[in-house]
Amino acid sequence: MQIELATPATVTGAPDLGDPAYLKIRDVIYRISGIYQPEEKLYLLASRCARRMSVVNAKTPAEYLEQLTIGGNRDAELRLLLNEITIGETYMFRSPLQLEALQTVILPQMLEAKNKSGLKRLRLWSAGCSTGEEPYTLAMFLLEQNQKLLAGWTFDILATDINDRSLEAAKDGIYGEYALRSTSELLRKKYFNSYDAKRLQVTDQLKSLIRFDRVNLNDDSRMTFLKGMDLIFCCNVLIYFDLASKRKVVQHFYSNLLHGGYLFLGHAESLYQVDDRFRLVHFPGTMGYWKPPIGYTGESKL
Amino acid sequence: MKTLDEIRARIKELEVMPAIPAIVQPLTAMLRLPAEQVDLDRVVKMVSYDSTIAAQCLRMANSPLFGRRNTETVRSAIMALGLKRVQAILLGCCLNRIVPPDKWALDAVVFWRHSLGCALVSRRMAKLIGYPDPEKAYLAGLLHDLGILVNTLTSTEDYRRCVQAARDAHVALERSEEEHLGFTHCQSGRILAEHWHFSADVIEVIEFHHHTAAPETHPLVSLIHLSDLLCRLRDLGYGYYEAMGVDLAGEEAWAALVSHYPALANLDLTRLTMDIEASMDEIVAVVDEVFRT
Repeated sequence: MQIELATPATVTGAPDLGDPAYLKIRDVIYRISGIYQPEEKLYLLASRCARRMSVVNAKTPAEYLEQLTIGGNRDAELRLLLNEITIGETYMFRSPLQLEALQTVILPQMLEAKNKSGLKRLRLWSAGCSTGEEPYTLAMFLLEQNQKLLAGWTFDILATDINDRSLEAAKDGIYGEYALRSTSELLRKKYFNSYDAKRLQVTDQLKSLIRFDRVNLNDDSRMTFLKGMDLIFCCNVLIYFDLASKRKVVQHFYSNLLHGGYLFLGHAESLYQVDDRFRLVHFPGTMGYWKPPIGYTGESKL
Repeated sequence: MKTLDEIRARIKELEVMPAIPAIVQPLTAMLRLPAEQVDLDRVVKMVSYDSTIAAQCLRMANSPLFGRRNTETVRSAIMALGLKRVQAILLGCCLNRIVPPDKWALDAVVFWRHSLGCALVSRRMAKLIGYPDPEKAYLAGLLHDLGILVNTLTSTEDYRRCVQAARDAHVALERSEEEHLGFTHCQSGRILAEHWHFSADVIEVIEFHHHTAAPETHPLVSLIHLSDLLCRLRDLGYGYYEAMGVDLAGEEAWAALVSHYPALANLDLTRLTMDIEASMDEIVAVVDEVFRT
């Protein structure tokens, strides 16, 4: 799942963005889910709240804040609000700057380090892959690097989700215009066959690179065995976890990764005060969490 | 690498060393006075005399970046912004004028987005970590790349090639400068800043903002080093893709700054980054309105 711009809510009158309750709601969401909404984007938050407010009959943001913080139903309500904020539908090539960073900075560095060990293999994990847009994007991206950067390398992608229906859809790999809105004509021709008048299906070649599996990120026994990852992508999944389980999952991710590997989260997600072992690395327009090599002491221009 | 004296000689030879804009001096002098001795009418007059500067004061005072105040007169804009900010605006506008529009190697708008972005981020970081003079941080952020203007004026054609080479190779501008000019904007900026009698800490920022921090470095240098990197990583750089990944909290400048301002160790960097991203549109709008030549 990825964050999607909210469509305007059907409420009468514009919300009063100066209402301090919105900032407090923003802070509650950030503290619990790690999703941050800058002040300049409060109008989006307000429109998302408006929909929930009309359902639960809260007349003011302050009243709604109360339901989110001390109401008997607060956990469920927060989840419903998060559902408004992160709309489930996503599309391929959603984060071009992430791929750009992979291509220009991360992979060259990673390949050089791995070359020394002689094992020319990359393992990627899309944790919370939903209906498959992310792992297929990664597969296309890697195949496109096959002649140049990744010549002589093998790679495999593990794509997991807790939701069986999402996984089935992911395995079918049938997508409409929305999912393909950022996929170029060239890539469509190369990696898709037509399925019906409006939809395309991914080729078997693409599917063969991905192993789909049902994994509950809270299941310690499963998580312990998913070792040797180079890159983990986990977008807008941890936001639904409480702090304790979020910490546990992130610790698992840390041990699942090889040294020098990266964890990527959703664009507005933060691990602030969740974990202090990962290093936050800034790339142009995107960020990743890095498991540094043993002995790393800082000062890293990658 | 050329020595400072060699660069100095070259710049003098070219006889294009710009004079400090006349309007800046009286304002700077006034800033040294105690607040009650400042003649606000005189400042209003100085600012109103120049329509670009007046417009920028109004635009800034009304921008959400500075708290949006619905200011309509130059006087209330100056009161809202404070004298230090007005000085920074004056310097920015005057500096923009010393470069003829056809000489720019970087686009003027790109340069000012980076400078204004760095000023804002420096001020924000200064406030977050408890640095005592956020307005100084703003000014230092605005002026840190002064040397780019010097290079543009003194080495126009060479500098165009240098910027193009950096753009093609996706590398940092100062690396390309070393290769193509034999000196960097840090060195040439220092020479002009000295010539204009900038304060010692701002001169240090201009010369050392790309260097890794020595223990005795002024904290302002470390602060600008970090906010410069952050801006370049958030589309407020030099207008091209710089292929880099930076562990900001692993930078020596970070450690140096933490030793002076321990609050930095707990700074929520993702949140600061997202705030910068959210300010982008307004920074672009302000710069487009004021600096588009």
